[in-house]
Amino acid sequence: MIFEELKAIQRQYGYLPVEQLVALSKRINTPLYRLHGVASFYPHFHLTPPARADVRVCADMSCHLRGACELRASLEQQFQGASGRDVSIREVSCLGRCDAAPGLSINDRIYTEVSDTQAEALVQSVLANETLPEPPREHGRVECASDPYRGGEKYGVLRRLVQTCDWEGVLAALESSGLPGMGGARFPTGKKWRGARAELGAEKYIVCNADESEPGTIKDRFILAHLAHLVVEGILIGGLVIGARKGYLYIRHEYAEQEKILEEEIQRCQREGLIGPRILGTDLSFELEIFVSPGGYICGEESALLEAIEGKRAEPRNKPPFPIVKGLWDKPTVINNVETFINVPQILARGVEWYKAQGQGGAAGLKFIGVSGDVRRPGVYEVPMGTPASELIFHHAGGLPEGKKLKAFAPSGPSGGYLPASMADVRMDFKSLIEAGSMLGSGALVVCDDATCMLDMALNAVKFFRNESCGKCVPCRVGSQKMVDLLTGWTQGKGSPTDYALVEDLSDALALTSICGLGQVVPAPIASVLKHFREEVEAHLLRRECPAGVCFSRAQDGAARVSGIARAT
Amino acid sequence: MSAGGQALRQVELTIDGKKVVVPEGTTVFDAARLNAISIPTLCHQQNEAPVGVCRVCVVDVGARVFTAACVRAVEPGMVVTTNSEKVRRARRTLVELLMSDHPSPCARQQHSRDCELETLAKLEGITQPRFAPRSTSRGKDDSSLSIAVAFDACILCDRCIRGCNDIRGNLVLGRTGKGAQTGIAFDHNRPMGESTCVSCGECMVSCPTGALTNKGTVHAALGPDARPVTSEELLQLPVFKGVSGTFLELNKGAIVQRHFQRGDMVCREGEYGSTAFYILEGQAQVSISSPIAHVKTDGGARGFLSRLKSSLARRQEDRREEEAQQRYIPTDGPVDLAYENPVAELGPGDLFGEMTCMNYYPRSATVRAQTDCTMLEMLRNVLDILQKNKTFREQLEGTYRQRALDSHLRGVPIFAGLTDDFINHLRETVELTRYAPGEVICRQGEPADSFYLVRLGFVKVSETYPGGELVLAYLSRGNYFGEIGLLGVGQRSATCTALDHVELVRIASADFQLMMGWFPQVRRSLEAVAQERLQQNRERLSLVRSVPLDRFLAQGLMEAQSLLILNLENCTRCDACVRACADAHDGVTRLVREGLRFDKYLVATSCRQCRDPLCMVGCPVGSIRRRHSLEVIIEDWCIGCGLCARNCPYGNINLHPFEVTQGEPALPGREMAVIQQKATSCDLCTGHKEPSCVYACPHDAAHRVNPREFFARTLGSPTAGVPES
Ligand SMILES: Cc1cc2nc3c(=O)[nH]c(=O)nc-3n(C[C@H](O)[C@H](O)[C@H](O)COP(=O)(O)O)c2cc1C
Ligand code: SF4
Ligand code: FES
Repeated sequence: MIFEELKAIQRQYGYLPVEQLVALSKRINTPLYRLHGVASFYPHFHLTPPARADVRVCADMSCHLRGACELRASLEQQFQGASGRDVSIREVSCLGRCDAAPGLSINDRIYTEVSDTQAEALVQSVLANETLPEPPREHGRVECASDPYRGGEKYGVLRRLVQTCDWEGVLAALESSGLPGMGGARFPTGKKWRGARAELGAEKYIVCNADESEPGTIKDRFILAHLAHLVVEGILIGGLVIGARKGYLYIRHEYAEQEKILEEEIQRCQREGLIGPRILGTDLSFELEIFVSPGGYICGEESALLEAIEGKRAEPRNKPPFPIVKGLWDKPTVINNVETFINVPQILARGVEWYKAQGQGGAAGLKFIGVSGDVRRPGVYEVPMGTPASELIFHHAGGLPEGKKLKAFAPSGPSGGYLPASMADVRMDFKSLIEAGSMLGSGALVVCDDATCMLDMALNAVKFFRNESCGKCVPCRVGSQKMVDLLTGWTQGKGSPTDYALVEDLSDALALTSICGLGQVVPAPIASVLKHFREEVEAHLLRRECPAGVCFSRAQDGAARVSGIARAT
Repeated sequence: MSAGGQALRQVELTIDGKKVVVPEGTTVFDAARLNAISIPTLCHQQNEAPVGVCRVCVVDVGARVFTAACVRAVEPGMVVTTNSEKVRRARRTLVELLMSDHPSPCARQQHSRDCELETLAKLEGITQPRFAPRSTSRGKDDSSLSIAVAFDACILCDRCIRGCNDIRGNLVLGRTGKGAQTGIAFDHNRPMGESTCVSCGECMVSCPTGALTNKGTVHAALGPDARPVTSEELLQLPVFKGVSGTFLELNKGAIVQRHFQRGDMVCREGEYGSTAFYILEGQAQVSISSPIAHVKTDGGARGFLSRLKSSLARRQEDRREEEAQQRYIPTDGPVDLAYENPVAELGPGDLFGEMTCMNYYPRSATVRAQTDCTMLEMLRNVLDILQKNKTFREQLEGTYRQRALDSHLRGVPIFAGLTDDFINHLRETVELTRYAPGEVICRQGEPADSFYLVRLGFVKVSETYPGGELVLAYLSRGNYFGEIGLLGVGQRSATCTALDHVELVRIASADFQLMMGWFPQVRRSLEAVAQERLQQNRERLSLVRSVPLDRFLAQGLMEAQSLLILNLENCTRCDACVRACADAHDGVTRLVREGLRFDKYLVATSCRQCRDPLCMVGCPVGSIRRRHSLEVIIEDWCIGCGLCARNCPYGNINLHPFEVTQGEPALPGREMAVIQQKATSCDLCTGHKEPSCVYACPHDAAHRVNPREFFARTLGSPTAGVPES
């Protein structure tokens, strides 16, 4: 409720004036330190009045590869003389539009594939008090192989289950399918649900994690828009199986269009008696609520997400206890990724055998993968689990732009580090990628062409983690900053022979002692670059030279330097 | 034993190769400690719920990642390694990370060599952290009287936050920001001294580093006969409930217990001091011994160059223009004194000397022991703790409502006629509020909805003009503002700002209106006043909008009864006037040949009509204020402390010594002659035919004039004014 109150104040005043916070604190009997604690934590809230044109250019991987630095530099130059009250140009973390890079937001509206001139025109129109154009919309619905209903009546699995109440059958099917969680940690879904079902207590929750905020990750955005009915059906089945009567769909606030689609889907279900008290006339009941995130990648971490729903700072909890034992409001809670949920009705409708047959090279099921970066047709592709990365890059996404060669690719955004072109035939499934020293993570394939500096890319990825750290624990709060400092030095040719050992010690501390996955993966990007592109790093350190011509070449050209490293075009 | 009376299940596990058995629910940290294996930590302490944020206590339980021992419950068969090379290296890196941003030695390390981070760093052999320090400072906060905050030394262990919220339930401290920008914050990130912090000291006691440290005692003289009080003794007093014992221990020198025998002087009016007193036992008498009168200068009849004679006159004998008709004299204690008989009694539970202690203003009254007395005498940091303590505040406010509110209210002209019943009702509804230095209480132009009485501190009242800001007054205890709010709708005509630590008594307009319904006769008389006020305000506002500040100041001059003007065309700057003035006033001149210029005239009134009348800040009894003409007037209950004279940048306020006879309380029946001082500013020898300065001018340049008449000519009016002499 705190967020709703804060949002209401912000809608009225454009920011959160101190007097309003003080008044709210009295009204809802909540100490000021708590209100300030959350208001200062989430990027969605402004503690001071924002500029008339509040421009935020995405700084992360896919956009970085597609000229975000240049875009920002050009805007900064254009509006150099403008007062801070009129124009503010800042960086923002991944907006979830990696397939249409570079992306930027102006006054919370997101525009994609913007050129320098388009961006300038947008700012000018705000300053001229014109209404901004509608942001681009998701493309029309496409048929997906994952949809067992295609054109027919939806929610068939649910309707059947409500009659049979064969919850045990659901668990057995999921267990024998081996369905792993698709949010990155690949915990077996059947085991998670069985655990939650076994917990005593009448109050339980189920949560769908649609916070998707990792650079390059856009698959859930696609699924929510195209397969909303499967998402809702998956949540409903999960809720009924574990004995929850209430579910939350936690969605990032940048997905307004998806939020609307889901809202409509939920209403449709309510009308049809699939959601609400007495589902289809039985004793079963279930409510599903959409919870819009006030922002930040860390909210995707399951326990941080629960803290956010509880109206607190999204700081991950120490585990164990795990959410299935002590989750939302300390009650047993199941949290699954969007894509995990859509697999449930698929498996139940078509059978475990069908599911297993969909994969390639020993993997199971269909997989949505977002391809972005230096490719001709970036987008989300539905492929058999285990499809080789090269097939996605060269076949589905149309290969690299004219005249460019593949240099490296990140199979899982910043979290899995970078693999060299020579490994492009690796299969995109959990097992193969771990063997390759990376991970499937959230299915975010980011492609780098041969003009890319891999040290620059490592720094870019680490900066994302530094920016998104919640700050709760020491290794991540302090360590991610020190890692950024060290690597920034390297890109400027500053470093000492002892730095490697220092980075190694720091990496171990981050990976071993951080509370959550964010801090634990901070070292991944630089570790992979040191492993596969070591000579490129050494060129910076020993010869003060950037083989890709990115790092030293434009040292003088001002604005682009501020945020990091501009790419040579 | 669990609540059901059954023994808790025992869990067997291995720590560093040693088999140990502990009750279920024990943390790995405690299990190790119980078995003499110590695991280092920074964020964990026994009296607080563990949070596992510093990660220094990580141990290896054979999982992919390490686990924080302080938050991890034991499990049967668990194999814990606390000291492998891998664990030690990770721990060392964590300490090194923290040390790289830590100002070493920090305040705690410098003071008591017990900064927990620095101690641990030494243990780990870290002398020079390998990481570069952070590039920008996180700043500090010096606003609290008792606790110094150095954000650079903070390691965000959350110990203070848990101390404040979970242990003391004060709900002030939290985290602000996110990631590398995270910090601790008081309320909505306010300076500590301006936050709702109650100075219980728990945060400081919990802090492992020099981020929150005791400011230490200001070593001022606390009587030689004083006996230091232990923190245990203090904690037994209800008014110290909820304060951290360690914190009191650290402030040991700042509070003493003193014993006074009947007749002993506790403090004397006009004296400077830095302490406050809290009566534990016995009765004391508070009084003002200065004569309640003002300085009147006479003697012109004996010839112009003779010395003028200054004498004391009571307001009944010598009515001055715009003199206050107040019936009570405010003091720096829980009671106000009656104008006619300025004596009152204090007893156990009473606190006096707050203003002196907080702001080092002179004592407002004399206090003597009436019976044998025991009192606590304390310095600022302890007073601050006390003032913010909930129990004490309730007591303080209760006393105020019972004893001083009545006299305060009656000092307000519009309340003079209120019935006792009405005042009794108000007693219940008023609200006591605190303001930090610089905080705006109400703003010019805003709707007026409350009325305020000043209980403590100084409130600056200022108006904005096209040319700048003009300070109309500094209000202190006993003064009031915002009466317009009670008289119906209206706008604030001035901005009121807290100059120092201010406490106000607020009467909300709505409460007041409600009560007026019950007392129709009060309503009728107030409505008449309201009409008049609003009319005045409207006129003033229309004036204000168009008149630049300097012109307005000049208008102030126009309202004065008389002015001393020097015709600059005739004046040779010989200073004969200044010398004459000095000769006439015991060698001290009240005249400075400087001032506002008006046409060819220099307006050399005694008072400069400063934009910001500094003389008014700090008067312990609030006896100096501005007239409508902007000149100052010193009320009869001036105690002669001399603060205003020192504050006036132009030396225009002087102290006149007078010999008076007084009873000596220690020796009943004896009358003694003593010298008392009274402040006065030049009154242009009004009451005389001519001031000595005017008489002395050899060039006919100095004149005493009636401004309206005199400047009518300059300002273009046809009725030419003629100088009086
Ligand atoms: C920093 C961080 C961010 C995460 N973001 C997401 C996310 O956006 N969506 C998601 O489904 N899981 C995310 N996860 C993983 C979740 O913590 C959790 O494992 C997942 O939602 C469980 O669902 P699954 O078992 O279906 O994968 C994130 C984890 C971390 C550490
Ligand atoms: S690892 Fe980082 S994001 Fe995770 S809890 Fe620690 S500080 Fe927060
Ligand atoms: S939108 Fe820029 S990286 Fe995702």
